[in-house]
Amino acid sequence: MVKSFIPQSLEEALKIRAEEHAIPLAGGSDLMVQHRKGTGVVPEFSSPIMIITGLNELKGIRTEDDGTVVIGALTTSAEIAESEMVPFFVRKAASLMGAISLRNSATIGGNIGNASPKGDLPQPLILLDASVVLKSISGERTILLDDFIKGSKKTELRDDEIITEIRIPKAEWTYGYYRKIGTRKANAISKLSLSALILAEDGVIKDFRVSSGAAGPKVARSRANEEKLIGKSISEIEGLKADILDTHDTVISPHAMPEWRRNTTRRMLDHFLSEVASGAPAGIIE
Amino acid sequence: MSVTHIDDRITRVDALEKARGEAKYLADLKFENMLYSRLIRSTIARGKIRNIRVPSLPEGYYFISAKDIPEGNKNALKMIADDWRCFADGDVKYVGETIGILVGSDRGVLNKLFDEFSVEYEEETPVISIDDAINNEAAPLCGENNVMCSLVSERGGDVNEALAKASEIIEETIETGFQEHVHLETNGAIATIEDGKYVIYASAQCPFYIRKSICGLLGLNPEDIVVKQTVTGGAFGGKEHFPDVLAGPLLIAESIIKKPIQLSFDREEDMLYSVKRHPSKIVFRTGVDENGNILGSDIKVYYNCGAYLSSSYVVLQRGVFHANGVYLFPCTRIEGYGMATNTFPSCAFRGFGAPQTLFAIETHMDHIARKFGIDPAIYKKKYFLKKGDETVTEGHIIEDVKLNEMMEQITSASDYFRKSAEYEIGSGKGIGISFYNHGGAFTGNGEQAIIKGRLRLIKDGNTFTILCGQTEMGQGFRTALRKIVAATLEVGMDDVIFDAPNTDMVPDSGPTAASRSTMIVGNLGYRAALQMKEKMGEEHAEVEVQYEHPEGHPWDQTTFKGDAYLGYGWGAACVEVEVDKITNEVNVKGIWTSHDIGHPIDELIVHGQVNGGVMQSLGYAAMEKMENRNGHFRQSSMSDYVIPTSMDFPKQEYFFVDNPYPWGPFGAKGMGELVFNGADAAYVDAVERALGISCTKIPIPVEDIEGLRK
Amino acid sequence: MSMIEFRLNGKPVAFDGNPLKRLLDVLRDDFGITGTKEGCGEGECGACSVLKDGKLVTSCIIPVGAVGGCEIVTIEGLRETEQGKCLVESFAEGGAVQCGFCIPGMVMAAEAILLKNPHPSEADVRLAISGNICRCTGYDLIVESILLASRKGEGLW
Repeated sequence: MVKSFIPQSLEEALKIRAEEHAIPLAGGSDLMVQHRKGTGVVPEFSSPIMIITGLNELKGIRTEDDGTVVIGALTTSAEIAESEMVPFFVRKAASLMGAISLRNSATIGGNIGNASPKGDLPQPLILLDASVVLKSISGERTILLDDFIKGSKKTELRDDEIITEIRIPKAEWTYGYYRKIGTRKANAISKLSLSALILAEDGVIKDFRVSSGAAGPKVARSRANEEKLIGKSISEIEGLKADILDTHDTVISPHAMPEWRRNTTRRMLDHFLSEVASGAPAGIIE
Repeated sequence: MSVTHIDDRITRVDALEKARGEAKYLADLKFENMLYSRLIRSTIARGKIRNIRVPSLPEGYYFISAKDIPEGNKNALKMIADDWRCFADGDVKYVGETIGILVGSDRGVLNKLFDEFSVEYEEETPVISIDDAINNEAAPLCGENNVMCSLVSERGGDVNEALAKASEIIEETIETGFQEHVHLETNGAIATIEDGKYVIYASAQCPFYIRKSICGLLGLNPEDIVVKQTVTGGAFGGKEHFPDVLAGPLLIAESIIKKPIQLSFDREEDMLYSVKRHPSKIVFRTGVDENGNILGSDIKVYYNCGAYLSSSYVVLQRGVFHANGVYLFPCTRIEGYGMATNTFPSCAFRGFGAPQTLFAIETHMDHIARKFGIDPAIYKKKYFLKKGDETVTEGHIIEDVKLNEMMEQITSASDYFRKSAEYEIGSGKGIGISFYNHGGAFTGNGEQAIIKGRLRLIKDGNTFTILCGQTEMGQGFRTALRKIVAATLEVGMDDVIFDAPNTDMVPDSGPTAASRSTMIVGNLGYRAALQMKEKMGEEHAEVEVQYEHPEGHPWDQTTFKGDAYLGYGWGAACVEVEVDKITNEVNVKGIWTSHDIGHPIDELIVHGQVNGGVMQSLGYAAMEKMENRNGHFRQSSMSDYVIPTSMDFPKQEYFFVDNPYPWGPFGAKGMGELVFNGADAAYVDAVERALGISCTKIPIPVEDIEGLRK
Repeated sequence: MSMIEFRLNGKPVAFDGNPLKRLLDVLRDDFGITGTKEGCGEGECGACSVLKDGKLVTSCIIPVGAVGGCEIVTIEGLRETEQGKCLVESFAEGGAVQCGFCIPGMVMAAEAILLKNPHPSEADVRLAISGNICRCTGYDLIVESILLASRKGEGLW
């Protein structure tokens, strides 16, 4: 049986993490399932575990002066979905994650730390250039989530670190799009997702971003592709669209269901861009 | 308590204890010194067993396998056929085949021992799909061509002649996939010894099947084993024969260990290693004239039976007998083939072979209708069977067929004809329609020649006890039978007792399957109660009745000719959808059904059956995808094999037509399976119209719709 | 290893064992209350739903070590309350119960939505029970039974 710990404070947790390299168990919704051994048998882990579910220091949502939204790593998806401080894309993704009971357990830190390609939250967070705060007894570092997640189930987390916060810088947008296609209408794992935003001022595109989830080992975003539209006018979208769609297609790498994933991703992005180009009112593009 | 009337709205007798969490399901039972067990299974689809490396077992842990079956007894589970082995011996025929059972007191230790087991195989090329079996490139599994069972039904003259005269022959192949039952309670059983007799507690539909199936393993008679049904958390056919596969190894283990032993599957095991609905491939050659009128149809039905025949021949028969749908064509010829493959044996699932062929004929008819520019509802209506018409087994439709009235109900409620005309093909909006039936009770001579069901009613003072083998598995029969008997006796429901069966205490009324409980056993209850009414003055009285087949309805089991069923349930369904053309997501906007189930016995029970059966059918068509690769099922959990949630389909609107059935209690016919048989086709019809696609294979999740959008 | 103390159905309890044990197993095996069912073991079906500090959670994916100091309510506790009685009676009266295996969890989900919103719409109820899988009913009668409870139990939530 592996050692298990229930730290009562972040300080204690960091100490255990440093000394025992115990894996943090946040809500349990990923780890308890991955390591289950059946009815009546304690899940089996290969390394020490620390149950940090109860650490209130890592819970809660706040907004900083510059508009950055900071979400504690142990904040649940349900809490994120309900918070008006959280940007639309992330709230929406949180509200569509699994079932209600899962959203009451699953945490943002866990969803990120697990780094599943089908994870719901990394996709909109990466769209928004969110970063993660990683703490250890020797210090703290903040890195872009896009850099933190290296691939399917692979992260930059060191074995003495704990994810403590997720920081979402303020992003202004005129048009937003979020779509998740799940295995069914509710209580569903993501088969594909896409977020996009455009910030337009006086008909000029100041910002354009697009990210795809569940379409490869990690969230796909191409800043080079996004650059193609930035600085252009809305009336130029139609002319540039085909190239943007083609390029976005090259940054996703779906393994299963490739035809549907590629075509649907293209159709979703096409729809978003076409709606904007055709003068849709500002706001969420349905 | 006041007298219960048949049309009273009744609260289910077991609802409160279930809702309060007090009902004891199999996994809730604890016996003193109870041991746990796990099955050691084949990890390959086909091959010889070279060596089984059994880890060193601690004191009190056992590994039981074929060698433990006492000499002289056949290593077989006696289902309808007796080819399914209790333990694989020498070779394995499918992934998950039971090789042995590991027993001990601690589930954690069992898990560790399980992981230490290793079996060496000499692998052979498996036969997995129907096409593999037909192509017959690997060594055949059965005979020379993998055909395990077959039959032919034809009526109305030579179909080849009819096709020769046709202006066009419409050829089409329609396929359906595996479907997993996903009863919320997984499979489980406990073996023990009570008063010197072997006792099996099981979450099961058919306690009498279990004792018959396993007794030969120990050279016993069925009566030497007691089977007690535990509260059963859903079954849908998945617990008709399959509990035998748990009970067999448990019985052998019990004969050696002689302590209570529990075997309860977790969800992954239940998904990967339990029976499924037969995948099918149905090939049509339908001859039409220049106006699209059908001259005759030549139909070939292939079912994937898996590695053992078990119940598949009877499933195939039902499939063949329903392959013509609710229609009368000038002539029809149907050949049915049960194909042997190295997949987990297929078995009963709500509908028992009928849903596959009904889906196929409905979809085929839709395609022909649309090809000739005729609304499918109008087109199909021309061919509706009616009373007196000949069936594909050269029997006759005995009852009034009310399909026209049912069609009127659902087309009015859904505004079908307006929508059908207005929603352009490919517009994203579509409405679909289907018609279906289901032969009630056992096919052919099953009831009169094989089952011969019996029921006993005992009066003690003012209390009446029903003794029969029917089980409650969620369908409501415990309530329905008490209601039938109480209403007949003109007493209150509370004066009637009907408990979960114990095979030592009740007569064998036959299995709880084939939508036969209400129609057949309900009628036994009705007849017993009528006889009991003559004895109401007596303090103690007993009545026993047995099934009697109505005169004048012959059946020949060797030629499959005659009245295959004495009555059908009938159905009609409309489904309206909007499909998101960006994502292929289907949003169902409305579901309308009408069913002829004779005279409904209980408002709430029939509502629940319709609602649930239609939902399972929609799941079958829309999302329930179970793939098999090299003999391994690829979906192993409730997150990758998805079934509908409360959000996937809207509230259903439902109708009945009253059409009292002369041989059923208070005019009731069977309904449990009927309600599964048609919403799938209506859904697919609607999606096809919405997207302007042609679909010949279900299920159709978003990614599979993509392939059709060309 | 330290004791894990929490409140179970209103009473203080302590668990002395592996904190990684699933709450579901602790309830069923250690406390002997079996109304909470195991349907899938991975938080997908809702049969093992309980309330943790008033919120619906699936007890099969929660290690008991995560509930120290929490209030856990299972069907055994809920059914003794006025709200619980109203719910189970409404489920019976409304025809929501078929095989019954999903129902204790479904009742917990109903309690959770009514605690949050005593007068839910049909759509609210459908959403609230969307994590609780039922294979028998097709959900319509469950939805109607929860709406029935919200009417019959006016003032309870």
